[in-house]
Amino acid sequence: MIAAGCDIGSLTAKAVIIRDGSIVSKKIIRVKETALKSAETVMSMVTSEAGLKMEDIDSCCTTGYGRYDIPFSDMNKSQISCHGLGAFWLDRSIRTIIDIGGQDCKAVAVGENGMVKDFIMNEKCAAGTGRSLEILAKTIGIELEELGPVSLKSKKEVELANKCSIFMELDVIQHLYNKTKIRDIANAINTAVARRVVQLSKAVRLENDICITGGVSKNIGVVNKLEEMLKIKFKQLPEDPQLMGAMGAAVFAAKIN
Amino acid sequence: MEILKELETIAKQNVNTTLESARSNGKKIMGYFCSYVPEEVIHAAGFIPYRMRAVESPGTSLGDTYFAPSICSFVRHCFSKALNGDFDFLDGVIFMNGCDHNRRMHDNWRYAKIKPEFLYMLPVPHVVSDASTQKYMNEIKKLARAMETEFDVTITARALEDAIILYNKKRDLLTRIYENRKKKEVPIKGSEFLSIMLAITALPIDIAIEKLELVLKGLEGRVVSSDDDLRLFMAAVCTEEIEHMELIENSGGIVVADKICLGRSHFHTLVELKDDPIRAIAKRYLTHLSCPRMMDDMRRRMAYMHDEIKEYNVDAIIVEKLEFCTLMAGETFLYKNEAGKIDFPILSLDRELFGGGTGQIKTRVQAFFEQVRNIKEMSQN
Repeated sequence: MIAAGCDIGSLTAKAVIIRDGSIVSKKIIRVKETALKSAETVMSMVTSEAGLKMEDIDSCCTTGYGRYDIPFSDMNKSQISCHGLGAFWLDRSIRTIIDIGGQDCKAVAVGENGMVKDFIMNEKCAAGTGRSLEILAKTIGIELEELGPVSLKSKKEVELANKCSIFMELDVIQHLYNKTKIRDIANAINTAVARRVVQLSKAVRLENDICITGGVSKNIGVVNKLEEMLKIKFKQLPEDPQLMGAMGAAVFAAKIN
Repeated sequence: MEILKELETIAKQNVNTTLESARSNGKKIMGYFCSYVPEEVIHAAGFIPYRMRAVESPGTSLGDTYFAPSICSFVRHCFSKALNGDFDFLDGVIFMNGCDHNRRMHDNWRYAKIKPEFLYMLPVPHVVSDASTQKYMNEIKKLARAMETEFDVTITARALEDAIILYNKKRDLLTRIYENRKKKEVPIKGSEFLSIMLAITALPIDIAIEKLELVLKGLEGRVVSSDDDLRLFMAAVCTEEIEHMELIENSGGIVVADKICLGRSHFHTLVELKDDPIRAIAKRYLTHLSCPRMMDDMRRRMAYMHDEIKEYNVDAIIVEKLEFCTLMAGETFLYKNEAGKIDFPILSLDRELFGGGTGQIKTRVQAFFEQVRNIKEMSQN
């Protein structure tokens, strides 16, 4: 059985192929102009890496904001269920998942079968998402990938008073005018984003077996702040946590949970 | 069903051809906000009652020049339409003290000096008691006098009694259509029911009754649900986007029961005509399925939710709050609390009327349905 999971998000598209219960290939790309183009591109790359053709795929499940109307998709599932199942499939002890993606963040509780028991998702607000981190990193003139490592060098706590990402940017600009060090602003940005996620996470009963997924899981600054504020330690997943949506979709497609 | 398509077309219009032709034949049209404004009185004065709506709004930008962004989107849409001249076809508008946002719309409407000229604020009591019924009767009489003076008409007891009979007939037909949703194989979707409600509140009552009779007949043998659909109870206030309801139902559910302004709240409880028609009207409007604006009636509203869950075999609740709606903020808390007591699945959506954000709403609704199905499967196993 060859199953594929394809997660077309707002910033990146991800794909995973599972063959007889084992991962054979995986890929993350920056999104293209349309959801279909993103899906086709990432699937073409992932099948090629596995030495397969699209027609070799027995079942494909799509997820993410671009999950609809993909011609080669056999089913679609919400990214909430997919992140939950993906993480659970890799580590059966996982019961809570904090997923911070490009345009939303969620806290998901899963049951003993890896399926969603409860969840909370941010409302129509960019604060606490990958997109706001990207904008704020740009404002202070560093790459998104640098935001975590740079923030770890911070020696002085500075505050971003506003909760809204637009006004947060104004706070950041004010700090730049005041010649606050970039590393300290980077730390303040990560703290502000983490704070938003913590507020959201409180709506779901967090259990000890908790992991973080989504693109922002790669920002060590946000991850450290979350661990500190939530007083927990995230479990390390054996695969790239950004792939969990696609991973869960592939598991849904393979029906092997 | 042809009649449902026709009603959907009307529902998506600000003004329909029937209203236009009635107006060109000299009939007057009176706009009103909220289920606490008695349609019978408007009808008895010789007007066609028209429920105010945000449908076909040009956006909130005009309204935003008068209101802070923390005013609910229904009010900002409606006032934008008023400023845009979309309600110029009305001969008057009756407001009521449903919420402070709506009251401010009345203030701004007068301040802006825009059409129509006749703007009336009907103060409706917030509690149910003998004293408040008497107060409400007096306010209805004042409203009647204001219309009589302004438009040189007479509202007779006979006209009120005739209106009660007609509007009770409408309520009875709507109740029978609504109760069809108890069936295992549901003959009408929530989005279709919302279309009916929007349409019949913008049509003359005799035509509305004709249309409802056709709908009721058309439901015989009709099935629109599938076995996999989750049966939903929906609680909200000013929800009027058919597309939004379709989005929910297309995600694998069917709305079988509701507590929304343009839903059960509009036709719940008949007017019991025993003696004085004004007293009968006041009693019905004050004691019908209450809106969150009513104080000391939370238990009855929550009991209604529990009853609907049982009678309509509901699988899950969706409760919606328009951003900055203070009434629904409290009510959402109550619904969540009440659902929590029986461990019943509930999803709350916080959104703006015609506000977009469908991607997030779709994800939230789909994930909720996946969660409910998982819980159901787990309990069956």
